[in-house]
Amino acid sequence: MRHRFVATLNSVCALLLAMAPAKADGGTVPEAERTAFQAFFFAKFPKVAKEDFGNGPYAVNEGMRKQWQEIMQFPPYELALDEGHAEWDKPFANGKHYADCFDNKGEGIRQTYPRFIAATGQVETLEGAINRCRVENGEPPLEPMTGTMASLAAVMSQSSRGKPFAITIPDDPRALAAYERGKEFFYSRKGQLGVSCASCHMSPAGERMRGDILAPALGILAGMPIYRSDWGSMGTSIRRISTCSSQTRALPLKADDEEYRNLEYFMSYMSNGIPIVGPGTRP
Amino acid sequence: MIRALFLAGGIALLSLPAVAATQAEAEAALAAAQAAETEAVAAKAAWTPTEAALTAAQKALAAGNWDEAKAAADEALALAKLSVEQANEEKTSWRNAVFR
Amino acid sequence: MTKSIFTFVVFAVAALPLSAHAGDVKAGQDLALDRAKGNCLACHTIKGGDAPSSVGRELAGIKRRFPNRADLVEILMDEPKRNLVAPMPPFGRNRILTRSEIEKIIDFLYTL
Repeated sequence: MRHRFVATLNSVCALLLAMAPAKADGGTVPEAERTAFQAFFFAKFPKVAKEDFGNGPYAVNEGMRKQWQEIMQFPPYELALDEGHAEWDKPFANGKHYADCFDNKGEGIRQTYPRFIAATGQVETLEGAINRCRVENGEPPLEPMTGTMASLAAVMSQSSRGKPFAITIPDDPRALAAYERGKEFFYSRKGQLGVSCASCHMSPAGERMRGDILAPALGILAGMPIYRSDWGSMGTSIRRISTCSSQTRALPLKADDEEYRNLEYFMSYMSNGIPIVGPGTRP
Repeated sequence: MIRALFLAGGIALLSLPAVAATQAEAEAALAAAQAAETEAVAAKAAWTPTEAALTAAQKALAAGNWDEAKAAADEALALAKLSVEQANEEKTSWRNAVFR
Repeated sequence: MTKSIFTFVVFAVAALPLSAHAGDVKAGQDLALDRAKGNCLACHTIKGGDAPSSVGRELAGIKRRFPNRADLVEILMDEPKRNLVAPMPPFGRNRILTRSEIEKIIDFLYTL
């Protein structure tokens, strides 16, 4: 009975809020939401430092942390970094390089992705930007979930280690709409299991699911790409998101689906201020 | 022991479909399920068990097991409809979950 | 004629739903532990189970906590309806479990 009342109240509030004009940046609805989102996790995990949130389960569980420290003596993503550097330095058939596509030659910029691209009116992830670079230079796009793409993402992430997420929502209603769509995706129940990202990665963060610890949503993308033992290989953020879709018995969307890109946009913005720690490792 | 035998017999009788499915019925059920799933996929709301039920229905149909095919297709139809229902409901109720 | 009626009555009586007995509790336990069905251990600790999951409350003292069986039915059918932010799947509503499977799982839960 009470839940129905709260639901109605929430719907009315949402309607009123939706009708109120919302600027797209600074001291606005997204910023207020980010502050509230982060306050939730800082209160829930008072002993976890900001720079640790990108380490997911290892940040919130002592036992897992010890295992992680042992693994990190020989980081399992080292091979991917070597491959990534080799690929990054190799010229395209037309003589250009990856570095030519990016600000600052692609160094120390990973924390600004995903970006809203005015020309397309859509969100572009790091992997999307890498593929656009390739295609614009006459190369075929890479499979975005693993392999060479993950290696390149690893290189770019490593060059941004310690830099806090700095996602911008430009003063463009389409950008705000993309953020809102990402937020909706994050909180919507999906799949036959009927759970949302929030269902598991907000209140239950830090709790145990069989042998796993649920990572907090805050900073969850700061550790990407990851070498995940369960895969026995590297995976980009979209690989992990896609796997999660399957785990909730939802049919995964296409890797470059707008919904997934909007989700990454929202989640990364929520993590503004949280430093990049990727590439990472997971159980 | 006798009671158990009667029980088993009774349940067996009750479990049989009233009338066995025909090939046409099984095919119609599969077509309906596939249409519903196409809608779910277009809505980006599809579930993996729906796909599994469709595959099972197709397999049974190919093997000439009309009852099994219809049962699997009916289940796929139910799941596909539920998946769209959930997505539609969530379009408004997601806001109730937003952390404030 | 009498024999037919007798046979019919025996079949009809035999087909009546039974109250919980040892068979249903075991079936309920199997369903609860089956990863493709209840998969309860994914989120709940159950005595005798092999997973210390903590997403949900430990499944113990069920009779004391849920004296009203109808509450358990509601929880297993559609917990998100009762609690908008519940991490628990709507097992019955989304056809993860049938009503009959839910009843058996409840029979098992009442032994915890």
